Amino acid sequence: MRVEKCYFCSGPVYPGHGMMFVRNDCKVFRFCKSKCHKNFKKKRNPRKTRWTKAFRKASGKELTVDNSLEFEKRRNIPVKYQRELWGKTVVAMKKVEEIKQKRQARFIMNRLKKGKQLEKEEVINEVKKNIHLIKAPHAGKAKQMEEKMVQELQKDVDMEDDDL
Amino acid sequence: MALLHLSKSLGGHLAEVSSLTQQRSFSLSAVAAAIQKMSRVRVVDNSALGNTPYHRAPRVIHVYTKNGVGKVGDKVLLAIKGQKKKALIVGHKMPGARMTPRFDSNNVVLIEDNGNPTGTRIKVPLPTHLRQMEGDFSKILAIASKFV
Repeated sequence: MRVEKCYFCSGPVYPGHGMMFVRNDCKVFRFCKSKCHKNFKKKRNPRKTRWTKAFRKASGKELTVDNSLEFEKRRNIPVKYQRELWGKTVVAMKKVEEIKQKRQARFIMNRLKKGKQLEKEEVINEVKKNIHLIKAPHAGKAKQMEEKMVQELQKDVDMEDDDL
Repeated sequence: MALLHLSKSLGGHLAEVSSLTQQRSFSLSAVAAAIQKMSRVRVVDNSALGNTPYHRAPRVIHVYTKNGVGKVGDKVLLAIKGQKKKALIVGHKMPGARMTPRFDSNNVVLIEDNGNPTGTRIKVPLPTHLRQMEGDFSKILAIASKFV
């Protein structure tokens, strides 16, 4: 039993699900559901169909190069059966899966950080533009002018004192 | 009944096209039907009879089942190069049982009356559920190189 990958969306195809199509050039296409099969028949390119994994990887939205993804690649040389190797592989698979999830999540988070920064800047700009909704534009101006005049007068007085 | 009628009407249309494409019988219709009388098939082994070009595509003239419908593993009678020859269906365009592959053309392997294949090699992938089927397909499975 082997869990295949859907040609269109790259999702897992479990036994008993989906369709298999053999083209006349002997290339085999597996589909996980009729949605993928119908899109394939419509000759849509999975690398341009936004919801597929192929698109996300091609446009840099998801982790592509990583050591943890190397484990998923197909090996064409069969491994000789050894009981401890089998047991250890199962344990290793769990760990690798955990690490892979974390790395993929972190990649996406890093990608979205830029958005947070841009959002903050935009918010600041918006507040500056619409400051008149929070504070009246000439709110403290009169008092400011008064204080300034007092300061000026004080300065003049001091200068007179110095002269004297 | 409706299928037979439809395929007969389409057969008239596509006769010119199939003469252009010589021994390849690419059906241009979107109909994905099983194999019955008058269906054009594609011979996939390396026999001389199946591979030499002829101005008419190999056609099914009789299907050896209770109803006239041929699926994978059924024997049929073909008219090739003006001769009658028996053949075995190894793949069709119609979607079949859930865990079986669907092929892009109606593939057929030429056999003798005793069930021995005429050709010596089959390069096209064969469905694996042929193995479980009743009937002695061991010789045909032996000359196949790829299974799907």
